[in-house]
Amino acid sequence: MKKMVLFLAILALLPSVTQASAAKNELRIFTWSEYMDEANMPKQFEKETGVRVRLDMYDSNEEMMAKLQAGGLGQYDIIIPSDYIVPSLIKLKLVQPLDHSKLPNLKNLGKRFTEVAVDPGNKYAVGWQWGTVGLMYDKKKISAANASSWSILFDAKKNVGPFWLIDGVREMMGIALLYLGHDFNSIHPTELKAAADLLAVTKKRKACLGFKGGVGGKNDVVAGVAAAAIVYNGDAIKAIAEDPERLAFTVPGEGSEIWIDLMCIPAKAPNLAAAHQWIDWILEPKVGASLSNYNHYATPNEAAIPWLDKKDVENIGVWPTPEIMKTLVFTQDLGKGNQLMDQAWTRAKSN
Amino acid sequence: MRVVNSMINALAIGALAFLYLPLMAVALFSVNATKYGLVWKGFTLDWYARLFENEMILAAAWNTLALAVASTLGATLIGAALAIGMEKFPWPKKVKASLDLILHLPVVVPDIILAAALVIVFSLLRIVSSLFDPGLLNMIIGHITFQASFVALVVRSRLAVLGPEIQEAACDLFASPLYIFRRVTLPLLAPGIAAGAMLAFTLSLDDFVIAFFTAGPESITLPLYIFAAVRRGVTPEIHALSTLVLLITTALVVGAERLSRKKVGQKKPINVNPHSK
Amino acid sequence: MPQEKENKNSALVVWDGELVSPGTLWKRGVSFLSPGMLWLFVFLLLPCVILVLVSFAGRGEYGELVWEFGLENYSRLIGFGAFGWTANYLMILWRSVVTALITTVLSVLIAYPLAFFIAARPERTRYFWLTLVIIPFWTNMVIRAYAWFLILAPEFPLAKLAAFLGMIDPGSPLYPGSFAVYLGMVSMFLPFAALPLYASVERLDWELVEAARDLFATGPRVFVKAILPQTLPGLYVGITLTFVPAMGVFVVPDLLGGAKYMLVGNLIRDQFGASRDWAFGSAISISLMAFTLAGIYLFRRKNFDEYKTRKSA
Repeated sequence: MKKMVLFLAILALLPSVTQASAAKNELRIFTWSEYMDEANMPKQFEKETGVRVRLDMYDSNEEMMAKLQAGGLGQYDIIIPSDYIVPSLIKLKLVQPLDHSKLPNLKNLGKRFTEVAVDPGNKYAVGWQWGTVGLMYDKKKISAANASSWSILFDAKKNVGPFWLIDGVREMMGIALLYLGHDFNSIHPTELKAAADLLAVTKKRKACLGFKGGVGGKNDVVAGVAAAAIVYNGDAIKAIAEDPERLAFTVPGEGSEIWIDLMCIPAKAPNLAAAHQWIDWILEPKVGASLSNYNHYATPNEAAIPWLDKKDVENIGVWPTPEIMKTLVFTQDLGKGNQLMDQAWTRAKSN
Repeated sequence: MRVVNSMINALAIGALAFLYLPLMAVALFSVNATKYGLVWKGFTLDWYARLFENEMILAAAWNTLALAVASTLGATLIGAALAIGMEKFPWPKKVKASLDLILHLPVVVPDIILAAALVIVFSLLRIVSSLFDPGLLNMIIGHITFQASFVALVVRSRLAVLGPEIQEAACDLFASPLYIFRRVTLPLLAPGIAAGAMLAFTLSLDDFVIAFFTAGPESITLPLYIFAAVRRGVTPEIHALSTLVLLITTALVVGAERLSRKKVGQKKPINVNPHSK
Repeated sequence: MPQEKENKNSALVVWDGELVSPGTLWKRGVSFLSPGMLWLFVFLLLPCVILVLVSFAGRGEYGELVWEFGLENYSRLIGFGAFGWTANYLMILWRSVVTALITTVLSVLIAYPLAFFIAARPERTRYFWLTLVIIPFWTNMVIRAYAWFLILAPEFPLAKLAAFLGMIDPGSPLYPGSFAVYLGMVSMFLPFAALPLYASVERLDWELVEAARDLFATGPRVFVKAILPQTLPGLYVGITLTFVPAMGVFVVPDLLGGAKYMLVGNLIRDQFGASRDWAFGSAISISLMAFTLAGIYLFRRKNFDEYKTRKSA
C-alpha cells in the first residue's frame, strides 16, 4: 500500500519535471485555427532554425485577448491579432515593441502594410495575412443571385436552409449594422440596439443554427450540415478548391469587413529571440508565398507575390476587385465605445 | 403486478439504451472510412492510427492522467484528514455545524461558480508569483479543492458506521493512541478512503469546467481538446479518441469493481496484540 | 456518548476509551483539521468572498477588471442595461431553473425503474448491470454531449421525423435547440440520479412492502407508503447531485443549444471568456449561487420536516 502511494507520488511529480526540462528552445504561437499548415509549417521552421514550435488555437480576437488577460502573457511568444485589436493591446501593455534589428526582411512588406494605421512603422506588429469576411454557401441550395445580398440570411422570407452566423462580435455586429444601412463601426446606442435585435431575431429562426467561428461554420458547410455560413475568405477558398461543384464564396453587396492580421509579441514572451526569428522567417518571400498558397489569403509581403499561386492571384475571393474593395470596411478600435459594443453583443446572444 | 414488472423492465432497458445510443454511434463512426457525412463507407482503423501520431493528443492524455493522479493524491490526504478531524473529536455543536457547511459547499454550489472564483483568485495570486499562471498547478489546486469535500464526506460516512467501540476495545488492551491510529483506525477506514479516492479520481477525469477555466497552453487535457475540436467540426479522429476514452473508462470501472469486491470479500483479521508488529 | 468536561485546563476526559487531557485532544483534532481547513479557506471560502466583492466591481474599456464599486452589474442583471430595459438575463436565469428542475424530475422518474430493475437482478448479474450505469457516469461529459450530434444529425431518422412533422427545416440537424439540450441534460444526469437511488433501493426492506400488501394496500399506495419513504435518503442525494450541477452546466447547452438555448452557465462562461466582463460574470455567478442554495434549502426544508416526523413516528 505504501509502495503504491510512493509510486503514484512519483508519477504525479513527473509532469512538472518533464515540462521544466522540455522548455528548451521552443516557440509558442497562439494563432487562429487552420491558419497555417499546422502539420508541416512548424516542422519546416524547426528544420531551418532548430526551434521547436508549439501551436495553440483560438477562433476570435476576443477569445485571444481574454486568454492573455487571464494570465497568458508569459505563455506565448507570438500572437496573431487583427488590426483593430492592436491599439488595445498596445494601450494595455500586453505586447512589446519589436526589435527591428532582428527583422531584416521587414523591407519585404508592401507600403500599405508598413504604414498601417493602427501601428505606423511596425513598432509592435508585422503583417501576417489580410482578407475579408463573406458568405460561403452550397450552390445547389442557394443561387448566386440570392447570395449576393445579406438579406439571404436576415430576411425571413428567403429560403436559405440551415446557416451559421459568425461568432465574432465586430464581424457579426458590423455586418448587421451594414445591412441596416448604418456604419460598420457605429457606436450609436440606437443603431447598436437595432443591430443586436436583428441578430437576436435572426438567431431565433428555425433556419439559423446559431453562432459559430468562421472555421467551424466552414467545416459545417463542407460537411453538409449547413447550407451557408459567414466565414473568412481564405478558409472558404481552400474548401472550395476541394469541392468546386458544390461550394462557393462571395462578399454580399451591402459590404463586409476587410481585415489585416498581424504578428505581435506578448509583453512577457519567454523566447524573444525565437519570436523574432519566426517573424523574419515569415517575411521571407518564398515562405510568405507558401503560407498564402496554403491558406488562400492575401499576403502583405510584396516580395512574395511572384511566388504566389496564379489561381489565387486571379481569384477575386482572395484579391478583391476595386469595386468590391469599395464596399469593404476596416474595423476600427472603438475606444470607450468598446464596452457598448460588447454589451450589445451580449444582448444579441442572450436574447 | 406482472404488467408493472414488465413495464419497469422495459423502461429500465429503454433508459440504458438511451444512455448508450450516442456512445455506440460514436464508436460506430470511429471506424467508418469517410471524413464527412454519415454514410457507411467501409471499415477502417486509420483514424485510430492517426491519433497516435498526433502529439497534442498524446500530451493531452498525459496531462489528464497526471492531473487526475496528482489531485486524487492531494484530495485523499486532505479529505481523509478532514473527515477524521471532524468525526473523531468532541467539537462543540456550532463548530461542527459550520465545518459541515464548509464541507458541503462544493456539493451544493455548481462548479462553474467555483471555477470563476478560482480564475479571479489566481489572477490576484499571479501578482505575487508566476507560479499561478494558468497551468497544471492551477488545475490541480482547483481539482483538489472540490474533490477533498467529496472524499471527506465518503470517509465520514464510513467513520459514522464504524463507531468508537473497536478503538475503545484497543484502548482497554493498553494500546497507545498512535498505535491505535496506525493499526486499528486506518485499516478499518481503508475501504472508505479507497472509495473516496476512487470517487475523487472519477471527479477529476470527469471534470471539464474547472480545467476549462484554469488550463494553460501546455496543460490541455483530453476533455478540453475534444471540446475545442468538436466546436470546430466533428471528425472521425475525434470519434476514435472518444471511443478510446470510453474503452479506457470501461476498463477502469471494471477494474475498480473487481478491486472493491476483493476487498469486501477478504476481511483482514485485526491484530489486537499491541506488542507485536 | 462519552462524558466531556467543559474546562480544558485541569480534568482529564475519556474519549474513545482513552484517558486524555482536553488540551491534547484539541491539539490532535486541530492538527487533523488544519491542513484541510486551511486549504478550503484559501481556495474555497476566500475565492467566494472575492467573487462577491468583484461582483460589485467594474470593467474597463478593454475588458480589464476595474476596482470601482457600484451596483451596475446587478442592475444590468435585473435588466437595466445600456439599451433600455431587457428581461434577457432574468429569462436566462429562469430558463436555467426550469431546465434544471425538469431535468431532475425526468431523471428521477427514469431512475426509479432503472434502480428497481438492477436491484431485482439475481446476485450474479447485478454487478454487470450496475457497471453498465457506472460507465457513462465515469465517462467525460464532453464526449457524452457531443455524441448526440450523431443521433441528431440530419441524415438520421430522428431529424427526418422532426422535419416531417414540420418542427424543423428539412435538411437541418435537430440541434442546436431546446429539444437537444433536454435530451443531453437527461442523458447526462440520469446516472447521477440513478446510482444513489439504487443504493437505497438495494437496502429496501421488502418485508415492509409485504406487510403493506397484507393490510390490503393497493399497488400505488404500497409504492407511496411503503417503498418510497425507504428510498428517500438515496432520492435526496440523487436530487442534489442532479439539480445542482444542472443549474450551472454549460457544456451541454453550449454544444447542443448553441446561442439558441442559452443557460446561465453559458452566460458566465462568456463573461469570463470573449466578452471579458469578469465583474458582470461574478454578479451572475453570485445570483446563480443564491438561486441554487435557495432551491436546495426550500427542498430540504419541505421534505426533511416530513421525513423527520415520519422517522420519529
